[in-house]
Amino acid sequence: MSVREAARVTVPAHVAPAATPRRGQRRRSGQWWVPWLFLAPALVLFVYFKFIPMAQAIGMSVQDVRPYLGNTWVGGANYAEVLGSDGFRSAAWNTVVLAVGQTAGSMILGFCLALLVEGQTRKLTFIRSAAFLPVVVPLAVTAELWRIMYHPTGDGLINQVIGLVGLGPSGFINDPHTSLASIAVTGIWRGAPYDMMIFLAGLAGIDRGLYEAATVDGASTRQRIRHVTLPGLRPVFAILFVLAAVRGFRTFTEVFLLTNGGPNGSTEVVMTLIYKLGLEQSRLGVGSAGAVLLFAATLVLTVCVQLLRRRRSA
Amino acid sequence: MRSFKVMAAGVGMALAVAACGAGGAGGAGRSGTAEQDPSAPLELWTRTTPGGDGEKGMKKLVAAFEAATGHKVEVTAIFDDFETKLSQRAAQKDLPDIVMNDSSQLGTMVSQGIVREVDLGAIKGSDQLLEPALAAARSADGKTYGVPYSAQASALLIRKDWLQKVGLAAPTNWDEMAALAKAFTTQDPDGNGKADTYGLAVPGSTKRGYASWYFSNFLWAAGGDFIAKQSDGKFKPAMTTPESVAATKWFRDLACTSKVVQPGAATMDTPPTNETFEAGKTGMYVVGPYLMPRFDSSLGKDKYQVAPMPKGPKDSTVLAEGGSVYLMAGSKNEAGQNAFAGFAISAEGQKIGMQGEKAFIVQLPVNKGVDIASVRPDPRWKLYADAYREHGRYAPSIPNWTAVRQSTADTVNALIADCGLDLDAELKKVDQKLGEALSQQGIGAS
Repeated sequence: MSVREAARVTVPAHVAPAATPRRGQRRRSGQWWVPWLFLAPALVLFVYFKFIPMAQAIGMSVQDVRPYLGNTWVGGANYAEVLGSDGFRSAAWNTVVLAVGQTAGSMILGFCLALLVEGQTRKLTFIRSAAFLPVVVPLAVTAELWRIMYHPTGDGLINQVIGLVGLGPSGFINDPHTSLASIAVTGIWRGAPYDMMIFLAGLAGIDRGLYEAATVDGASTRQRIRHVTLPGLRPVFAILFVLAAVRGFRTFTEVFLLTNGGPNGSTEVVMTLIYKLGLEQSRLGVGSAGAVLLFAATLVLTVCVQLLRRRRSA
Repeated sequence: MRSFKVMAAGVGMALAVAACGAGGAGGAGRSGTAEQDPSAPLELWTRTTPGGDGEKGMKKLVAAFEAATGHKVEVTAIFDDFETKLSQRAAQKDLPDIVMNDSSQLGTMVSQGIVREVDLGAIKGSDQLLEPALAAARSADGKTYGVPYSAQASALLIRKDWLQKVGLAAPTNWDEMAALAKAFTTQDPDGNGKADTYGLAVPGSTKRGYASWYFSNFLWAAGGDFIAKQSDGKFKPAMTTPESVAATKWFRDLACTSKVVQPGAATMDTPPTNETFEAGKTGMYVVGPYLMPRFDSSLGKDKYQVAPMPKGPKDSTVLAEGGSVYLMAGSKNEAGQNAFAGFAISAEGQKIGMQGEKAFIVQLPVNKGVDIASVRPDPRWKLYADAYREHGRYAPSIPNWTAVRQSTADTVNALIADCGLDLDAELKKVDQKLGEALSQQGIGAS
């Protein structure tokens, strides 16, 4: 048996749910409501704070919203306006670029970090906690720290560092040409440790015996990563990809705090645009239309990933 | 497959709820005057930090009002998402009775139908109001929808010790101002041997339209404008007039050519910009009077002086702003609303509002009969009051000024951030955007 087949055989993801027929019967015959009972508190909260507002947003997206005078039906006009505006298109493009950059960056960095700190030594626990810190620090603090580090003159922190190797000084978030990349770096810095933790959990699920078998077969470290680790992490990748992509699409806080879409609209993302339209200019209908479009894009992406995954595992 | 069914059920439910929501909200117009009850307590919302000095000042004013009239008032201070929370209450058809907020919110509130028209005859002392403040409470249709209670204008703060160091006087025109900014940037006025000082502090971020808000002081003094009112009462975009172009170019040159604006201005909103002035990184700053108490304690009263804005190519126009008492629609106690507005603009109310070192809620009085020197002997306040009365200019009352401010802020921000951009092309672009915004609001001249 080759190493590759071994990896495939031992992935347990779809083995567990195949329950015995007796249990299945019981679930169908009687207490179907028991799981719902347990879910009820969460569902009530979700309905009230999530689903109803979402439904209202859908309703508002086809109306001219004037809370006190009463809304008027405008049909697709809000959507037409949003889709027809250059601002939205460039914001959508920036969002995609940022989402792709942050997703790829955090996953690669997170994976490398996970490989580096995997293991059981006590010191590693400390290092793992330290590496996880960026996720715990409030985003507002993170943004303020990075603003200081991105100071655009030669005595800024990062500019001093890149000055050592003869680069810079760069404008970072203040230069329209580097601002989006700078925000992506901040996002990667924050997202990578989160990805790292999930990778670590995935790595722990890989049978150690496979590595030993691979070593016995004479596989190098690179081959072991390629043929044992990566296939073993496939479900983790899929989950992370969806999570990171959704997170990327919804990027708001760091952009809002660092640049608010500037300079020259170079970092305007869909969320900051929706915020400006809906809450700053009080054009809630148009803002809702943008939000619904963003929701649709996220949904399509998630469904696509799920379908791809299912096809591959079938 | 099961998950798909669940999802489908969820979406179905969501749509059903949406349909109900839409049915309930649609159609209902303004419900006319509510049944009146002159003893009903008044709910008052003020846009200030909860627990902060502004709230304390407001409570003091309200206490005096209660003592004088017998009406009961309940104060709620809200700072974050003020307009959003107001919209929510509007959707529930249960507005607070009184809202104290920026005068520039007038257009938005009128177009949402949440404020009632003010009958100035029913407001005691409304004939004592300064005309420019009252004009800011009039909407485009000429009706009054708010009662101004406070005003403010811009002036120039300058580092006094830096002036002495570079041997120059406070600037009186734009050339002197540019020269002083240059001296502050190049002559090491803080004497630390490093080129780390800059002439002018600029909050150039697009957040809340700061870039445009700041720039309006310069644009108007040069005779330019964002939008220009036509003889038929409609508006035309005006960012490509020769005056506007010249003003934009002058302002941009400060950032791009002579580089006297602090680095990073393009992404700074007001808090970090205030810090550059406090920390001795910038030597001039155009602001309203509300920052003086802060700078007095952080920087020191002796370290900076307040000067009138230098005269521009046309005149010394400065941005005027203010706060208004809005009498909200659907109130059960319109008599109480009127009485409160009357008290806020009375000589007594204005004086109470101005009292205190930090907790004042009236920046500059709007009542002709109130002399600021009688409450605040500090001559710097007199300077601000004079700037307001002689040169203050409000943003025009249009249904949605924020849209105009936002697009122009985007452009100013772009121009100071990217020195390679073609200025004329950018101004043409923003004129087009402004044209669209104006026609959306139904006030665009063809």
